[in-house]
Amino acid sequence: MENEAHIDFAVIGHQDNWPSVQSIINGMRSGENEPLTVAQIKGTFSYIPPRSIFKMTAKSKTGKTVNGVYIETFIDPDELTPHFLRKNINKVNEAISVALKHKSKIIALGGFTSIVLEGNLSQFDTSSSKITTGNTLTSAYILKGVTDAILKLNKRLQDCNVLIIGATGDIGSACTHYLSSKVKGLLLNARNGRKLEAFAQQFTDTSAEIKWNTRLEELIPMADIIICVASSASIEIKDYKKQVVICDAGYPKNLDTKIEEGNGTFVFHGGMGTVNYGYDFKPDYREHFYNYPRPHIAHGCILEAVVLAFEGKYENFSSGKGNIKTESIDKIHELSVKHGVELAPFYNSKGLCEISLPKSSKG
Amino acid sequence: MGMEKLSYDLKSEEALSVLTDVFSQAITGELIGMSNFASMAGAIDDPHEKMEAVEHADSERQHAEGFMAHAEKLGLKVKVNLEGEYWGRVRNIFLSYAAKKDFIACLAIQEVMLEAFAVSMYTDVGKALDNEAGKMFLSIAEEEKEHMEHSTEFLRDELHKDKDKFLKKFEQLHNDCMTILAEFSLTSDCTDSCGVCHGNCMKSSLPIVGLDVGSMRGNALSLYARALDHIGIPGEQSIKWIANLPV
Ligand SMILES: NC(=O)c1ccc[n+]([C@@H]2O[C@H](COP(=O)([O-])OP(=O)(O)OC[C@H]3O[C@@H](n4cnc5c(N)ncnc54)[C@H](OP(=O)(O)O)[C@@H]3O)[C@@H](O)[C@H]2O)c1
Ligand SMILES: [Fe+2]
Ligand SMILES: [Fe+2]
Repeated sequence: MENEAHIDFAVIGHQDNWPSVQSIINGMRSGENEPLTVAQIKGTFSYIPPRSIFKMTAKSKTGKTVNGVYIETFIDPDELTPHFLRKNINKVNEAISVALKHKSKIIALGGFTSIVLEGNLSQFDTSSSKITTGNTLTSAYILKGVTDAILKLNKRLQDCNVLIIGATGDIGSACTHYLSSKVKGLLLNARNGRKLEAFAQQFTDTSAEIKWNTRLEELIPMADIIICVASSASIEIKDYKKQVVICDAGYPKNLDTKIEEGNGTFVFHGGMGTVNYGYDFKPDYREHFYNYPRPHIAHGCILEAVVLAFEGKYENFSSGKGNIKTESIDKIHELSVKHGVELAPFYNSKGLCEISLPKSSKG
Repeated sequence: MGMEKLSYDLKSEEALSVLTDVFSQAITGELIGMSNFASMAGAIDDPHEKMEAVEHADSERQHAEGFMAHAEKLGLKVKVNLEGEYWGRVRNIFLSYAAKKDFIACLAIQEVMLEAFAVSMYTDVGKALDNEAGKMFLSIAEEEKEHMEHSTEFLRDELHKDKDKFLKKFEQLHNDCMTILAEFSLTSDCTDSCGVCHGNCMKSSLPIVGLDVGSMRGNALSLYARALDHIGIPGEQSIKWIANLPV
């Protein structure tokens, strides 16, 4: 009998569109069974109770190996809205019980599942298993990404105005705090004006010049860097500076499809990391749903659990909303690099992308 | 909830016609269960297991009788047919394992697969019908749940003895039996008659009594998946089996 590996970490996730559900389900169907259409899958998919659908193994630079399990919530991609909150919370709760059954020591709530819970852990017993939203390492990769991009453009962060779309959110506020002492100006945007103003008031004493506006179009023309960490498919980026660097880290990541590139504008998918020493799945369905241009790429939120498992640092590392400290961002990033888990190469929906210096500043 | 239910006139001619088929399917299913346990009683050597199988057969008989009596009270002309397209195939699969004295296989087919569908569908019917018939479906669903739980413990022990062997075997049983139940519960109307419904396929008429075949199938597969979880079958295994069922 196959020896069952103990589980160090669990990742709870969901799909955000039907084509990816379709690829996964068809990837599970054996050759003799016809692939299913989305309509055929829609009928049953969200009835399936949350369950482990594959196991993972990650290798650290230190030689340590950790085992994980991916638990799919089977949340209906069409139901990722507040209207279905109760139903989705139930699914996430059930997924957490599955993770506890696997005796995983740390659980990462990927994508929407952390938003569903509003980071409120009080309803869970976290004495034997810790839970993290993974938003600290996600923030770290977003920040590392824009910093690297700016360096490559021979620019200095302290000369840049940074626009944060979704500034009052968990990741957005973490980025705002982090950058408040490092940039020339902060341009903050979210839809709820009162919340935005109250949030922005905290930064009036910092070295960066602060502006906030619920109207995105007022802020975009001033931005040298745009960090998008809002969950919205309908964000429009217009009248931007020619050489703007855009880090698209929200869901869905669709900004590059709306922007003309090539004029010095650089758009990349942010918050992503890569496990340099190996990240393997069993069964391996990656050929059916893995959409990244290089192997071993994953979301920062998932990798936070991987890094904590490598470290044997089992704690509710990121929890709640608005609690992410600048020191924690630096700390988790340092640990991440120690284990060979690093910022993913720049890419967007068209594939890997290189940042190139505008002609005028070359030579 | 109450508001919603008022909109169904369960005494209309169309509703009674759908209910006739619902009762016919339930009674046929119970008689299949009764016959399966009776066949098991014959096949098993262990005297305690033999006696238990007879007891089970009797409990399914009582369910069938209960449904029959209630149908009669409502004036429904039910049809019983153990040899119809789907029930007949399920029965034959079961008999093939009983002939081999394969107790584990018999339990898995009768108490996990068939029972998951029974419990789930009785529960859905029971919730939809806000009347005495509904109550009856719900109370029988409760008893069937106990059958499921009883077999779960047994199968869990089997799994622990030799996991790989057990999973291989269960996969075969799933392919043999769940494929038929999945075809039976397809959301499209049956093209050939199932041999139990009295007129056209009842599936598209279920909304008349507040039911729909899509959610009934979904709930049944959900309960089946949970049953596999309780036995200890890994999720990555069960999802693959379910993903390969006919749609
Ligand atoms: N590695 C990764 O790529 C990764 C990892 C984890 C999470 N994420 C994604 O990152 C995003 C942020 O996560 P979070 O936990 O920080 O979420 P959150 O706490 O819910 O914050 C969302 C923020 O976006 C704002 N917002 C929502 N819709 C907006 C719109 N149309 N225009 C402007 N602002 C809008 C919200 O404020 P208002 O409601 O007031 O507008 C809020 O400030 C999510 O999409 C999440 O899925 C990505
Ligand atoms: Fe029964
Ligand atoms: Fe039963």
